[in-house]
Amino acid sequence: MSRRWLKANALLTPTGLWLGIFLIAPLALVVQFSFATRDTGVARAVLPWTTQAYLTALDPAFLPIFGRTLVYAVATTVACLLLGFPLAWFIARHGGKYRTVLLAAVLIPFWSSYLARIYAWKALLDGEGLVNTMLGWVGLGRDGGFLLTHGVVILGLTYGFLPFMVLPLYVACERFDFRLVEASYDLGHGRASTFFRVVLPGVMTGVLAGSLLVLVPSAGDFVTPKLLGGVDQSTFGSVIDDQFRGGNNWPLGSAMAVLLLVLVVLVLVLRGRRGEDVL
Amino acid sequence: MTDDKIRIARLWDVDSPRVTRRTMLGSMTFFALAACGVGEAPSNSGGSTSAAKATNLKNEPKLNFYNWTDYIAKDTLPGFQTATGIQVTYDNFSTNDEMEAKIASGSAGYDLVVPSDNFLRRFLRSGLVQPLDHSLLPNLKNLEKRFVEADYDAGNKYSVPWAWGTTGLAYSKSQIGGDVTGFSAYDLPNAQGRSSILDEARDGMALGLLKLGHDPNTTDQKQIDDAANFLLSLKKKLGQITSDVIEPLTSGQVRLAQAYSGDAFQARAANEDVGYAIPAEGGLSYVDLLVIPKDAPHAENAHRFIDYVLGAETGAALSNAVRYGSPNAAAKPLIDKELLNDPLVYPSEEQLKKLPFTKDLGGDVEAKYADAWTKVKTG
Repeated sequence: MSRRWLKANALLTPTGLWLGIFLIAPLALVVQFSFATRDTGVARAVLPWTTQAYLTALDPAFLPIFGRTLVYAVATTVACLLLGFPLAWFIARHGGKYRTVLLAAVLIPFWSSYLARIYAWKALLDGEGLVNTMLGWVGLGRDGGFLLTHGVVILGLTYGFLPFMVLPLYVACERFDFRLVEASYDLGHGRASTFFRVVLPGVMTGVLAGSLLVLVPSAGDFVTPKLLGGVDQSTFGSVIDDQFRGGNNWPLGSAMAVLLLVLVVLVLVLRGRRGEDVL
Repeated sequence: MTDDKIRIARLWDVDSPRVTRRTMLGSMTFFALAACGVGEAPSNSGGSTSAAKATNLKNEPKLNFYNWTDYIAKDTLPGFQTATGIQVTYDNFSTNDEMEAKIASGSAGYDLVVPSDNFLRRFLRSGLVQPLDHSLLPNLKNLEKRFVEADYDAGNKYSVPWAWGTTGLAYSKSQIGGDVTGFSAYDLPNAQGRSSILDEARDGMALGLLKLGHDPNTTDQKQIDDAANFLLSLKKKLGQITSDVIEPLTSGQVRLAQAYSGDAFQARAANEDVGYAIPAEGGLSYVDLLVIPKDAPHAENAHRFIDYVLGAETGAALSNAVRYGSPNAAAKPLIDKELLNDPLVYPSEEQLKKLPFTKDLGGDVEAKYADAWTKVKTG
């Protein structure tokens, strides 16, 4: 074995150990739990081995929850795309010397805890909150505010994951050669067809990367639906959370987590060659 | 349950001959990584259920006490220290889950813990607490009969109650727009989408069972299913299923909530508009209990503390400070009249009959409740 090979592997050691201990080990534990039997004592998951948890998790009764989760995730991704693209384009194209500052501004929300920010949204949107009060002045107020609705969960998710969309889109827009747009106009394309046939293909890698970065975590999120949503807003993530936190059923929670993981891996496999350039 | 069954499951327990060395090795590396995250599972086979003579493993005048936050009188600990010369290390937790994580790991070194009755059941199933030595607890006679006979631990074999409360309905007096006397309050127009039920399987299911006139401790699958179906229809009228009721009640966001009386009174302290009622259909009693973990280093000192708070004066001082119901009959004459006459803290005999404790129904039936509850929450 060459020295170079050794050196390259030595570089991998810290990360390898880190991932081995803090990613693979918990994951292995979850897979183990998913095949164990539920215990109503403190052990939560015990022998013998069984696939009961998977049978329960695949029960059609969970399908509506699953569908809802998917709708939330896709809606969040689309909303992030619609909001994030103009922003990324603007920063890349017109940011000038303020680019770094503008990008930093996108990241500022990360300086405070997500939980704290969701509680702030709660205060904004509840019956006596700012939003409802102001809408009340123009007669659009709603009794009890806007909490506990599908819309507000998607709003919260979009708010939380928008930076994940903006950053890869910005990179793609920045790399995009703007002269292509002029060339397209010169060659007789209109605005719309320039966008769809020149700009969009040019930044597609960013769109795919951003969409994956938003879609995957928003499908697994449970904090947002739990805090902003009500009885009809529970998602796959919040059902998993229930199984663990109420101490209800660790094997079932684990099995559902594994299924979600398998699904995410499927998405990654199916992302196509285009996505591979970026992720 | 055998010792073998309660062990944490590991993949290499698979005894199949078809597992080749190669796949075995592969899965072992994957799962061995996990093994460092699994503590040794507790076993409940060791130890007899009859009380042994309690002794200190470490012979020193110390006591490690793990209790809920803000759940003690100012003089309780200093008084105990003066009376016995035992130094108390006092730690706090704010959720049962947090406390369980420490106790289940088995090496926390606490001598005395205060789980709620639902977690006592869990602890008992896993054999985490040691039986009490009644010869060290002469004041046990001060307990009210109801707490000696209670289903969760009949005869106080393992636990002595610290304080108790009820599960009922908390509401906003000015906003609810009607009388709150029972579960029909969920039908009030002002409660639509602005009400909640507790996110606890047994408490939530109890609401459905009581509404349908069933025993909240039923073991009948049909009744459990009926309750789940009722709750599914009730869900259309609810805003949330949550156990965090203090803040929404205080702010008025939630107008009607199934709540623990302790939480309701905390909300009332912040906002006088919050009322609390024990439903005509009934409710549940809950109780926080002093228990001694199996591995407690100073079990004898823990017994002395339990006996100390079972005393009439100390019990009354405790109750006057935490404003919960006291299980101590001898302390009653010394408790604030205002507290004693509050029918919500000390319900009438008549009401008490409709406020049973949550009974341990055994692993299988508890699992039925858990499954029904999952159905309610996801349906």
